Amino acid sequence: MGLSSTTTVNDGIQLCIFDLRRGQQEGQELDKILFFFPAECPFSVQLSVIGLCEGIITFTRIFSPETACEVIEAEKHSHVFYQAEPDIWMVLVVEKNKDNESIWRCDSLQSILKEVHSLFKMFHGPLRALLDKQPSGELTRSHLYSFITDYLTDFHVGKKIQMPSFRDCLRERGSVQMLTISREVALEVQSLITVIGSSCVGNTACNSLVLFQDLLVSTTLSPDDTANLFTYAVLRLTPHALSSNTNSWSYLRRGTSSPNIAAASTVTNAGAAEENQNRSRDTSPGGQSQRYHIQRPLQRDKWCKGKDGFVVTDVPCAEVGGFIPLAPIVWLQQTEERMYLCVYQHKNLTIVLLIPVSSLINGEQGVALLKKQLLENASEKIVTVEQKLSRSWGGENAYHVSGYRYLFVDRDRNVSRASPPGKVTTLTKDSLLALNRLREEVDLEKSRAKRDDPDHEKDSEVCIRAKNNAWVIAKITGGRELYMVLEKASETLLYASDALEKFSNRYCDGAFSLD
Amino acid sequence: MDSDPNHRPLDAAAAAAEDPNPSRSSAPEPNTLESDVVELLDSLTLDRSGNARPVKRPTSNGSMPPDFYSCDEIEIEEEEEEEEEGNPREDGARGSSQRGGGGASEQEEEGPPSPSSSGYAGERGSSVGSSGIEEVDDGRSSVDHWGRGKQHLDEDDASATWRKRKKHFFILSHSGKPIYSRYGDEHKLAGFSATLQAIISFVENSGDRIKFVRAGKHQIVFLVKGPIYLVCISCTEEPYEALRGQVELIYGQMLLILTKSVHRCFEKNPKFDMTPLLGGTDTVFSSLIHAFSWNPATFLHAYTCLPLPYATRQAAGAILQDIADSGVLFAILMCKHKVISLVGAQKASLHPDDILLLANFILSSESFRTSESFSPICLPRYNPMAFLHAYVHFLDADTYLILLSTRSDAFYHLKDCRVRIQDVLLKSNVLCEVQRSMLDSGLHVEDLPLDSSLRSGSMPDRTKSESLSPSVGLGGAAGLWHFIYKSIYLDQYVASEFSSPISNSSQQKKLYRAYQKLYTLMHDRGTGPHKTQFRRDEDYVLLCWITQDFELYAAFDPLADKALAIKMCNRVCQWVRDLENEIFLFGANSFSW
Repeated sequence: MGLSSTTTVNDGIQLCIFDLRRGQQEGQELDKILFFFPAECPFSVQLSVIGLCEGIITFTRIFSPETACEVIEAEKHSHVFYQAEPDIWMVLVVEKNKDNESIWRCDSLQSILKEVHSLFKMFHGPLRALLDKQPSGELTRSHLYSFITDYLTDFHVGKKIQMPSFRDCLRERGSVQMLTISREVALEVQSLITVIGSSCVGNTACNSLVLFQDLLVSTTLSPDDTANLFTYAVLRLTPHALSSNTNSWSYLRRGTSSPNIAAASTVTNAGAAEENQNRSRDTSPGGQSQRYHIQRPLQRDKWCKGKDGFVVTDVPCAEVGGFIPLAPIVWLQQTEERMYLCVYQHKNLTIVLLIPVSSLINGEQGVALLKKQLLENASEKIVTVEQKLSRSWGGENAYHVSGYRYLFVDRDRNVSRASPPGKVTTLTKDSLLALNRLREEVDLEKSRAKRDDPDHEKDSEVCIRAKNNAWVIAKITGGRELYMVLEKASETLLYASDALEKFSNRYCDGAFSLD
Repeated sequence: MDSDPNHRPLDAAAAAAEDPNPSRSSAPEPNTLESDVVELLDSLTLDRSGNARPVKRPTSNGSMPPDFYSCDEIEIEEEEEEEEEGNPREDGARGSSQRGGGGASEQEEEGPPSPSSSGYAGERGSSVGSSGIEEVDDGRSSVDHWGRGKQHLDEDDASATWRKRKKHFFILSHSGKPIYSRYGDEHKLAGFSATLQAIISFVENSGDRIKFVRAGKHQIVFLVKGPIYLVCISCTEEPYEALRGQVELIYGQMLLILTKSVHRCFEKNPKFDMTPLLGGTDTVFSSLIHAFSWNPATFLHAYTCLPLPYATRQAAGAILQDIADSGVLFAILMCKHKVISLVGAQKASLHPDDILLLANFILSSESFRTSESFSPICLPRYNPMAFLHAYVHFLDADTYLILLSTRSDAFYHLKDCRVRIQDVLLKSNVLCEVQRSMLDSGLHVEDLPLDSSLRSGSMPDRTKSESLSPSVGLGGAAGLWHFIYKSIYLDQYVASEFSSPISNSSQQKKLYRAYQKLYTLMHDRGTGPHKTQFRRDEDYVLLCWITQDFELYAAFDPLADKALAIKMCNRVCQWVRDLENEIFLFGANSFSW
């Protein structure tokens, strides 16, 4: 097999998922591949990429049996690893262009892999469980194919796929951005949540997420589940996401009361998948999606807002007890519970309601009843809350602090706040590169500290006056991280420290609490 | 050139599977991982051949000083990384048991106890810590401890101990033949070496070049230099750039011994076995690797001078200049790792890395101490292709003269030169001054003048002031613990002696690594060099300040006040400038490179 064929045939990224428990017999190597992007890559190339990754994983285990391989850095490519589940690896291969734009942080790329895996798990459950359910792997491959392909559409810039680079160093993927609200509004929100929570039948309380624009107002879920659902909401559910998703065609097409379930991808044939370990071309994942019910929650145009205010989808879920429910089902990590995902939107307010599947005996009807109940009980409050939030909303530059470009991350709560992207773009490339480099260093130090003693967080502060005279700062205290760039600060270190101090006093302490 | 007539082409993977070493096959289990890698890659590799057959090392190849091959002094040498970083909590216990036992040599005794002093700080007896880790350096210890040749020869990649070593260095050929390994016998590591080769060429075949792999705290750094592959496997968590710099120096050290023309041997015969050419030089490499954890010159790319009165250094410089005019390319007078004076022929300039590698080569080879030597060496930064001829003579236990010539027949001329120089040095008392400086000089943070009006312009007399110093045991004012000042124009640095908060060598190494990290971030290839860096963590406050003229690295108590620390940095710079005539070498040829 010629190795020179490993040269990439695509936009410069490859993303693969493979299972080291599969395909260990000679001649069956293809069976370990669960996903490969781009799918049109010849198998020889796919095997070559995975062969290298597997080789390095095995090799590093000689010295480091406990910790997984994280990255292979070569002159022209970076391979970023993420062991999503035991023996199931995700590897992102990014090509370094000569234009100097392809500089990134390993952690930032890894967070993409983490994100897509978390989202996948939320809708489909763990990969291993899927593989166990259907050992041929066809089902898993089909799910992964449509899910990740849909996910990657968000990285399309024109016709190319663009991964986050150093220009995104003032953002934190996987964290939640919150809206700061006044005490008065907070009380209103609280009472709304109580009403929503009580919409559920029986003694099970419904969990909910409330978003205003693309910011989180409240959540009753654990931090991890909140992060997943928040990410999903911002990708596909919020007004902003819906307007960029939908085109007029889909609005016209969909009625509100009778979603056209039977339309697109409900092809029946879920028949026994053949044990075909040496897959040939015609069983490539693209073809497989026709053979299963493939839930595609990340497909664009799948969600639209109905007249009653509910955001609905025509995505058919995997069959549960012989019927196809209206609302998609998600898995919560914290409680390992299956929940119906029910979304209501009023203007800029999005309410994500999670109803335990177990609490609704009569599925579809139950959801409809619950929706009706919600509208009756809460619509007034929803209007009030939306009005109050709109009134106090400072616009997209609400969290801009003049003179500063910053990112604040609260690791314990998985919450972050950053300068508005429009403001970050005013920074020079040099400043962004310097911060990106500093963050890389901080990432390494954090993971080192975590290895040394997981319970002990190390505090640190680094201020660098870069070549271009900008101050680039990272400060970590008690699980909170603050990164900033000050381009117009004066020369002295004390001035920069002062600026940091002022910012921290004014904007960071308690900035994310609701009261 | 090939010493083994029985070479047979052997696939590297096959070599790993066949397992030429019986001891390895007796413990097959741990090797499965590694052969897996080869198999994995092999199944995908088109053309890879390697001769992993172990080669017998000859006793001499005739071109090296004969005693290069006297590696019969192999002893149990504890691994420095292991000792220190393996389990820091045991430091105290080890410190005491080591003194009692005296058998196993610990890293604390192994090298010069101070990065700045190359040993003489130890002789001040300023040890405050009761652990007694600071060893008195009798001036020969660095050779005594590093002159034992290869460590842990019994180990190979199947041994758990081998796998747990903190820092491995490997040199191998592009066909996968082992050339050098820090730990374990190269012959036994043939299979492992083939694996490394397989990884490198697998990536190379795809039109790329592998730089490093990271897994947890382990980092595997690859460097390809033509037909020579170098690999470092480390869990010391040093930055990639630092490890890469170290691997580059290892390669430089190899060139110093063999020149780059060794590449040609591989052109003629890809399966050329280079091991015999490096036979007996293990101590040179192990001493260099040790320097990676104490000698700032390894990452600063600057050299340091022995502090001397201006007139003394002038006198030494004058006589060196005299002989340099008579066909000597470089004349270098050194005391351990520190330069006393150096002079180059017109337009010839010496790179600090070459000085480092040359000094390391001489100090780690016992033969140079016993008699005058004339040896072919290559200065990789000066001209990697050609040998120079080095006349080396130790004037006393620590002070040695190196005369470099392009002529292989220059021995008697250089010997005459040495006699003349020695004569002058003795008459002008230079050697005595050197001895005195060894015992009692260097910058101590406690002596930093706090009142700028009290500038003396000469080194403080430690014998008088030490007992009076109010801050003994606490470092300098405002929590200043240590500093390194590098003059960019001179390519020289000066480091303060370690004061008590950084008293034992594990603390020193920790600080060294912190500096190294600071340096790396400041000199980032894409964005650097930056101007200032302030860093506070649980261990230190570190300040770095880079201007066109100098770089300052300073370490403070982690609770130090920021404003005061900045003030101290300014004072240090002023102090160094006040003393520059004594701590730096001026008037040497321009070292532009």
